[in-house]
Amino acid sequence: MSAFKIDNPVIEVENLRFYYGDSRAIHGVDIAFPEKQVTALIGPSGCGKSTLLRCFNRMNDLIDISRVEGKVLLDGENIYDKSTDIIELRRQVGMVFQKSNPFPKSIYENVIYGLRIAGEKDKKLFEERVETSLKGAALWDEVKDRLHESALGLSGGQMQRLCIARAIAVNPKVILMDEPCSALDPKSTARVEELIGELRENFTIIIVTHNMQQAARVSDNTAFLFEGNLIEYGLTDQLFVKPQNKQTEDYITGRFG
Amino acid sequence: MSRLLDICVYSWSWLATIKIFLVIGCLLWFLLSRGLPTLSKELFFGDAPVLQAIFGQVRVWDALWPACVGTLLLVLLAGLIAVPLGIASGIYLACYASSPFKRILSMSVELLAGTPSIVMGLFGFALILFLRDTFLPEANTSLLLASLCLALLILPYLIFTTQVALESLADEYQLIGPSLGLTQVQTVFHILLPAAGRSILGGVVLAIGRAAEDTAVIMLTGVIANAGLPHGLFGKFEALPFRIYYLAAEYQSPAELNSAYGTALVLLALTGLLYSGAFALHKTLEWQWNQH
Ligand SMILES: Nc1ncnc2c1ncn2[C@@H]1O[C@H](COP(=O)(O)OP(=O)(O)OP(=O)(O)O)[C@@H](O)[C@H]1O
Ligand SMILES: [Mg+2]
Repeated sequence: MSAFKIDNPVIEVENLRFYYGDSRAIHGVDIAFPEKQVTALIGPSGCGKSTLLRCFNRMNDLIDISRVEGKVLLDGENIYDKSTDIIELRRQVGMVFQKSNPFPKSIYENVIYGLRIAGEKDKKLFEERVETSLKGAALWDEVKDRLHESALGLSGGQMQRLCIARAIAVNPKVILMDEPCSALDPKSTARVEELIGELRENFTIIIVTHNMQQAARVSDNTAFLFEGNLIEYGLTDQLFVKPQNKQTEDYITGRFG
Repeated sequence: MSRLLDICVYSWSWLATIKIFLVIGCLLWFLLSRGLPTLSKELFFGDAPVLQAIFGQVRVWDALWPACVGTLLLVLLAGLIAVPLGIASGIYLACYASSPFKRILSMSVELLAGTPSIVMGLFGFALILFLRDTFLPEANTSLLLASLCLALLILPYLIFTTQVALESLADEYQLIGPSLGLTQVQTVFHILLPAAGRSILGGVVLAIGRAAEDTAVIMLTGVIANAGLPHGLFGKFEALPFRIYYLAAEYQSPAELNSAYGTALVLLALTGLLYSGAFALHKTLEWQWNQH
């Protein structure tokens, strides 16, 4: 792996190993993610992209046979320390999933539902959050006249952007995205990709994608994973044009299973 | 060849489906033709004046009213006991239990589900015998005991449906709550349960139907013919399914047998009413969840 220097990392991963029961899915990964940039995780199916991504907000804790070794530092603090407040961690590191999954509620309520359940009651704050989040997710203009209609009436791409709005309503620092466009048509995909470019101004984004063109289009840096190992990590422009590693080259040129 | 197979499979499944309608149709027609003519004020209240009978001021003999009240109370009590317990256990199994413990628990629930209702009745009966011999010499079979045993009978259904309803939510849907920084409790109550509510309510309805129709349990735990309206939790009571059984087994005249059909019709209607009540409740819940 070529040494890839990162000046202002938000997340630093040190020798991370991850186990599902007895089988190891991540075999000692070291990687760091720079602030306010988009980093893509690519690699063949089953190589551990989702697993690695879910280590960053301890989503894997929910699987009771799982086990983590190594360190993940968020702003220099190991999130696997005993003293970590997981709830607070997950507010700082938000997540958007593959399938858009809004609640069967209004658009407005979808955005602030997380805050509301967490005990927030301030109406003014809600209104303000709805507007900023929807604007942040580039959805405001399309839905501002029907905030109180059901979110289930939106198109697939709009729903996915609503889910992004829901994630940013909590005010995260980092947003993890696991194949956010794989269920969308090309037009909606383009719209979400454009949005990712805009989100970069305020958030650090780590995105898993199967689509190499997408990685090339939206990301600043790309990491190539293979069978639970980080094979190559570098600037997207360099990695796609001049991969250092034979396996990376085979994968991005499509000579791979 | 495969075309022929296609046709065979198709017609077989079609016939099998039609069979259901046929059976239901025949059953209803039979019940209606025999039971409908017997539906009258006398069937419900005998010779007692209606209003006074309804409020229990006059004793009703040889009629349905006490059995209707008995069954309603029975179902209500059994539901009150079993529904919160069952749903809570289902939540525990689906969202909290760790694997090895979960397997043992699931097995116990299956065992409970496989227990014949007569055994539940025997259990209640044995409990009373035990209490009498030990520290409660006055203990006797009663409405409360029967409700407890019925609750035990429907508990496994409630646990199963809750567990399955929660577990069959998409994996990613289960992760939304945590990803928004919500606690497990907040996630369960505000995101998962509302989404699983429909199927859970379906299970509750079926379980309640099951409690309304069961005869074996109550026969050993406090139902008697001509108990009149139940006198509180510790009194004996009447119930519709038992009345049907009793009339069919010991009728003295064809008219009495026919009144058993009338009773069956009433039980059917009552169960239907419970179903529609649950359905309406479900609609309101869904409406509330979709609000804001
Ligand atoms: N809940 C789980 N229990 C056991 N093993 C799992 C679990 N989830 C994933 N795995 C295994 O861990 C490995 C990595 O899976 P992961 O889902 O992270 O791959 P991925 O790169 O995201 O694949 P894809 O591109 O198909 O989404 C795979 O071998 C998978 O079988
Ligand atoms: Mg994946």
